Amino acid sequence: MITLIMYLHHFQKPILLHGHERALTQIKYNRDGDLLFSCAKDQTPNVWYSLNGERLGTFNGHCGAVWCIDVDWQTKHLISGAADNSLRLWDVSNGSEIGNLAVRSAVRTCAFNYSANMAVYTTDSTYGFACEIHIIDVRNADESFSKTSSILRMQVEGAKVTSTIWGPLDKTIITGHDDGTITQWDTTTGRIMNTIKEHKNAINDIQKNSDGTMFITASKDCTAKLFDVEDLSLLKTYTTERPVNSAAVSPIFDHVVVGGGQEAMEVTTTSTKAGKFDARFFHLIFEEEFARVKGHFGPINSLAFHPDGKSFSSGGEDGFVRIQSFDQSYFDYKFDY
Amino acid sequence: MAKKKDSERHNAENGNAKNGDEPNFNDPDGFVDDISDEELLGDILATKPKETDGFDSVIIVDGIPKVGTDRLEKLKNVINKIFAKYGTIVSDYYPKDDTGSTKGYIFIEYNNSVAAREAVANANSYKLDKHHTFLVNLFTDYEKYTTIPDKWETPTPQEYPEKPNLQEYLLEPDAYDQYLVFDTDWHVQIWLNSSPHPTLLEDRERWTESFVRWSPLGTYLATVHKLGVVLWGGSKFAKVMRFAQQNVQFIDFSPCEQYLIIFSNYHDSSETKKLGIFDIRTGMEKRSFAIDGAPAWPIFRWSKDDKYFARIGQNLLSVYETPSFGLLDKKSIQVSGIRDFMWSPSDNVLAYWVAEDKDVPARVVLLEIPSRQEIRANNLFNVADCKIHWQKNGDYLCVKVDRYAKSKKEKGEVKYSGMHYNFEIFHMREKNIPVDIIEIKEPIHAFAWEPVGSKFAVIHGEASNIKVAFYDIKSGQKLALTKLLEKKVCSHLFWSPNGQYIVLAECREVGALEFIDTNDFSTMASGEHYKATTVEWDPTGRFVASSVSAWNHKMDTGYWLWSFQGKVLRRCNSNTFCEFKWRPRPQTLLSENKLKEVKKSLKKYTVQFEQKDRIRLTKASKDVVEKRQKLMKDFKEYRDKRIQEWKKQKQERLQLRSNVDTDELNADSKSYEEEIVEFIIKEEITLV
Repeated sequence: MITLIMYLHHFQKPILLHGHERALTQIKYNRDGDLLFSCAKDQTPNVWYSLNGERLGTFNGHCGAVWCIDVDWQTKHLISGAADNSLRLWDVSNGSEIGNLAVRSAVRTCAFNYSANMAVYTTDSTYGFACEIHIIDVRNADESFSKTSSILRMQVEGAKVTSTIWGPLDKTIITGHDDGTITQWDTTTGRIMNTIKEHKNAINDIQKNSDGTMFITASKDCTAKLFDVEDLSLLKTYTTERPVNSAAVSPIFDHVVVGGGQEAMEVTTTSTKAGKFDARFFHLIFEEEFARVKGHFGPINSLAFHPDGKSFSSGGEDGFVRIQSFDQSYFDYKFDY
Repeated sequence: MAKKKDSERHNAENGNAKNGDEPNFNDPDGFVDDISDEELLGDILATKPKETDGFDSVIIVDGIPKVGTDRLEKLKNVINKIFAKYGTIVSDYYPKDDTGSTKGYIFIEYNNSVAAREAVANANSYKLDKHHTFLVNLFTDYEKYTTIPDKWETPTPQEYPEKPNLQEYLLEPDAYDQYLVFDTDWHVQIWLNSSPHPTLLEDRERWTESFVRWSPLGTYLATVHKLGVVLWGGSKFAKVMRFAQQNVQFIDFSPCEQYLIIFSNYHDSSETKKLGIFDIRTGMEKRSFAIDGAPAWPIFRWSKDDKYFARIGQNLLSVYETPSFGLLDKKSIQVSGIRDFMWSPSDNVLAYWVAEDKDVPARVVLLEIPSRQEIRANNLFNVADCKIHWQKNGDYLCVKVDRYAKSKKEKGEVKYSGMHYNFEIFHMREKNIPVDIIEIKEPIHAFAWEPVGSKFAVIHGEASNIKVAFYDIKSGQKLALTKLLEKKVCSHLFWSPNGQYIVLAECREVGALEFIDTNDFSTMASGEHYKATTVEWDPTGRFVASSVSAWNHKMDTGYWLWSFQGKVLRRCNSNTFCEFKWRPRPQTLLSENKLKEVKKSLKKYTVQFEQKDRIRLTKASKDVVEKRQKLMKDFKEYRDKRIQEWKKQKQERLQLRSNVDTDELNADSKSYEEEIVEFIIKEEITLV
């Protein structure tokens, strides 16, 4: 049986968010899904109403490419890490900077834990500094943030960390690395509990599913893979022809969305007609592709499902964020089995 | 008691030994040594010097002329000239009889054994003149030949080894074709192009060490290795034959698959290369040639029945015949200025062309072999270049002639200007072979005959307006243009092996494909396989494969299968993909009448085929559904377990988020604050 691939863009017009001047690096919804946070290689993270795409505000202060952002579960605080060697804590309600933690090298990843009492950030291995994972306490959200010392510091041997998530009940941290390895760390001892290597090339993104029991990795080796969050067992593989930059699991269906494209420097050698910048939908269990969404004219760098599963957003190398609501044909589409 | 005594004695002996007395090593009387020296020190014996040691750089040449002392110097010169090619000659010895004349054999010593072996391989069977053929052997082999028993012993018949049925692939009931996919890392897969999904037949890692080829009729698969070539065949691709020849560069098959031609670097240092012709059925080398320099491949071109093969030389055409592998009539054909030649695909006729030389015009000649009779010759003027294209049935021959208005010599290179192009069409089946001429003033990009039928297609024109012209040859009528398609994007022409359908392809930049039915010249479909460089029809004309090889491109490599109507059936993209090759088929055994009959009753068969296809499709979707059901069941089992665990952790989760339930998006409805946000959707200003 040949599954026909639907082109979803024929039906619903996406909302284009043009607030960034350079390539997007990460986009994230808050828990309620009313706000969408975005950061890019320009220096200003943005926050948008996800419903109509109006920009709510910006977070001004960084003076380097912003690599990562995360918002806590109550949408009170935002943290962002940047190439200006700083991790900053922001007040979401008014966009003001609460604190600025100076680090020795660029901050590549950051994440609040489940309770939002702690956060993790990782640093790049540059200028002779090794890649490190730091866990900090973020309960005191005031000026003292800039003097926060790490609760736990883990030195990373080998390839640097490119993405980080917290495991269930904040007991573990899972990191994806530049060489394709995935490492599970114990957050109380700082010891490595498990290391696997299922990817042949760098991991670009890791995202949890809605209940946090599985996570999906996006890798330069042209695949996205689904893993169990406890024992890191490989569950599913989604194969494309292009490096995958980001992947996300639908909160309501057994669907995953993957996006990517070749590296920025090679973009000009490919015609957009070749359709390699599409967001592609796979069935979570059958690993079969069933739909594509066109739009970006550069690789997709970050993807996120709306928490209600009725829309998704993509941030591209082209500087645009596109919010795409699903149309009825998406909800009607059923696999025969 | 006896036993005890025995052991006591033993002890006593041991005791003696300890005391330092020599034990007795002598063999007891009557001892027979049953261990041979071979067994005891075989390794040492193997290194024992032999009489012939140090003689491995010496060769014996038999069959040289017997000459008296007066002509000995001359003979030595001749011999030296021949044998100095293979290495440095250290010394030679010419045995003489009582009268002082040579005995007809000589000894030559080289400075190393490699040169000696090379001399044996190349100079053996060297024809010095009509009466003298050299027999060259290694001196070390002398013993081997002298110990040949005088009495003939009838060899015991060998058991007949079961050979695989090499034609098995043709017995496929649905006439599915096979294709091979060659990946980097010498990984070869053979697929059956079955409906609705191809079936993997063979999958072998490192099946070859450099490249793979199908034989021209599809019987064999040839893999090339460091030490030679292996042919595989039968349903399981079992090893059929091996041909030892090192450093293989090219291989070629004769058209009827009787002979295999292997071209190789003799050894890396030597400039001389070796071309060996092997009998495929026996594996024996029939003849070898030493080739100097870097010749264009194929060096030899074969006649359609494997009877003759020919190569071009300086002002001569050498035609060899099988199975003797000697020159036809023992001499080459003198053709001064010969530039290129092609055998007819249907008869033992070859077409060659001769370049212009001052006042002598260029000529295209049709030569019949073995009679060497010129059956047609055409003089041409102002010729820059010629290309010979035979139609597959041998009914027509087209010579594309590049002509110029002016020529200039600049820095030793001839430069032409005012180029125009002629197509000279020879009607081979008509009396006296009449010739039609078409002239095209624009640059020509491609030419292709319809494999069956009488049409041909030409791509010509400037880059801004590329045209595809179709001509049809009707007997008794003037050759006429039947259709001109303008403003096309294409660079190559690919006719279906059964004619009628043609693919116009752009194989340089974009990889555009256009499928045309030449009955009414309608475009059936067009598509794009980005960067596709090769297009190949399957041997039955039902499918087309386009591919992007990892040898040429880094991205988007893989192969696509299209129906002959131009519908993409399958996209197989893989980073490691290198080469796609359909397995060829021999010509159909059906007679022309039978074929016509089949075509007439095609409607009847169509119904059967369509029904078969439907059944297969339903079965396939059933298989997919079953597979999905299983996947779904396995995954659900795993998920149920995990969700159970997750539910058990609910209390802990609540604690972490100060008793706010966030498991569901709207679970925590108590703490909701309703907020009304107003957006301006449209602003209208009305001026009153």
